[in-house]
Amino acid sequence: MTAIVEVNGLNKYFDALHVLKDISFEVAPAEVICIIGPSGSGKSTLLRCLNFLEQPDIGTITVNGKTVKADDTGRERKQKIHDLRLETGMVFQSFNLFPHMTALGNVIEGPVTVKGMSVKEATEIGTHFLTKVGLGHKQDSYPSRLSGGQQQRVAIARALAMQPKVMLFDEPTSALDPELIGEVLGVMQQLVEEGMTMLTVTHEMGFARRFAHRILFMNEGRIIENGPPDQVFDNPSDERTKIFLSAISRLGE
Amino acid sequence: MTISTASNQSQAEQIRALRRRKERRFSLGVNLSYAVLLGLLAYAFSGIKFTLFGLQFSTIQLDTAFIAENWYFIFNGVWLTILLSVLSIALATVLSLLGALGRLSKYPPAYALATFYISLIRGTPLLLQIIFFFLALPQLGIRLTGLWAGVLALGLNYGAYNTEIMRAGIQAVDLGQREAALAIGMTQGKIMRRIVLPQALRLVIPPIGNQFIAMLKDTSLISVTGFVWELLWRSQKVGRANFRSLEALLIAAVFYWIITIMFSIVQANLEERLARGVRTT
Repeated sequence: MTAIVEVNGLNKYFDALHVLKDISFEVAPAEVICIIGPSGSGKSTLLRCLNFLEQPDIGTITVNGKTVKADDTGRERKQKIHDLRLETGMVFQSFNLFPHMTALGNVIEGPVTVKGMSVKEATEIGTHFLTKVGLGHKQDSYPSRLSGGQQQRVAIARALAMQPKVMLFDEPTSALDPELIGEVLGVMQQLVEEGMTMLTVTHEMGFARRFAHRILFMNEGRIIENGPPDQVFDNPSDERTKIFLSAISRLGE
Repeated sequence: MTISTASNQSQAEQIRALRRRKERRFSLGVNLSYAVLLGLLAYAFSGIKFTLFGLQFSTIQLDTAFIAENWYFIFNGVWLTILLSVLSIALATVLSLLGALGRLSKYPPAYALATFYISLIRGTPLLLQIIFFFLALPQLGIRLTGLWAGVLALGLNYGAYNTEIMRAGIQAVDLGQREAALAIGMTQGKIMRRIVLPQALRLVIPPIGNQFIAMLKDTSLISVTGFVWELLWRSQKVGRANFRSLEALLIAAVFYWIITIMFSIVQANLEERLARGVRTT
């Protein structure tokens, strides 16, 4: 099967700091990838490059046949990035819901302003996705009246409403109180079961082990492990992975 | 008051009642104090004489006949003052929005133009600008009435100051908002209009409202053109003619004060309207 995401020779600098070093990998349709690694290893930057929220300096990214090269320029580049973003949905660590819009308003914003749908049509879709994340009854609530877990589920519904081919999760549970993490992971599990292609930067090792098809372990801007969870967690090939995993597991006990 | 712990329901009610009583007591105290302050102010201008510890005190004696005869003439300037304010606010708001977008633009001429505009306008006195538009432009063949010269000067002037407030407001909107909007494929223009500006406006209403309250009173500077019969101009005219400037200026002051209070109420309402979705407690 051809890959739905292809990353080729990706490099990114923050001034003199080389944060992504020659990253290349592919993701198959319906594959679930968890990106783990120590803080500062470049995992969030990598994820944010996939929809060009960060601009890579070298390399190409292809999502569902839409390719953007780091050195594309001008109007063509803008259009290509726009096309690529329509193939991806993104969920942020800090939710980033629009505070002046209701839950439903957040979810239909994309369909109405980007896809040009009528409000009526978009509302149908919006209600569908809010119900899917278990918040059909909260569609008229403003984000400030929702718990962190509820906000993140609205954010997932907002991304899904654009009907992307690939979902990107950037530490979706890191800002949540422990008892609220489960409801967000539950929604993500549902997406896994429906065959959504997902890339998730996470510290939830339990989720990664249970649901990921493949783990990418990053360290200092490189992918140093790329394999199924059993292999990466139980039999890591690199010494740094072992150190990271033992530090994490000590915390979990 | 002690709170009984008979049941949770009644306990919550008692606490709420207690809080409400506290709030009521506070606002009652504030209103009483207002009344006392107003009373003192009125007393100061009552003309009553009294003796205390053998010293003769006299309050200010106003010419009530003059006031009765002329207050309405001065009051008629209120409409012009409000008109000048509204027109200048409209112009200043448009300019400050454009200015802020220019200041944040990556397109060099737009950035330069906005920065140049702010520097030039903030670098020269408002009074000079008003007189310039009224007296200097005719030399270039451009004749503006006093009203339009004043509105142009005030709008340009406050537009320049508000540009910086507007820019700060736009920049204060969390970067994550823009990123979330980009991630769902929104274009820069739509992000500005639908996501960033509504949130920025909420932030800038208090400082910009403050500016407009200052501007409301700066409309009085337009009286120097001599052709705009607004509040100050009218009060000076009748005050000088009758050697009753004290009374005439006090009347104008009272009207300015009242308009300012009304402006503040409008501002508070606007603030509340834009606070949709914002938790305040």
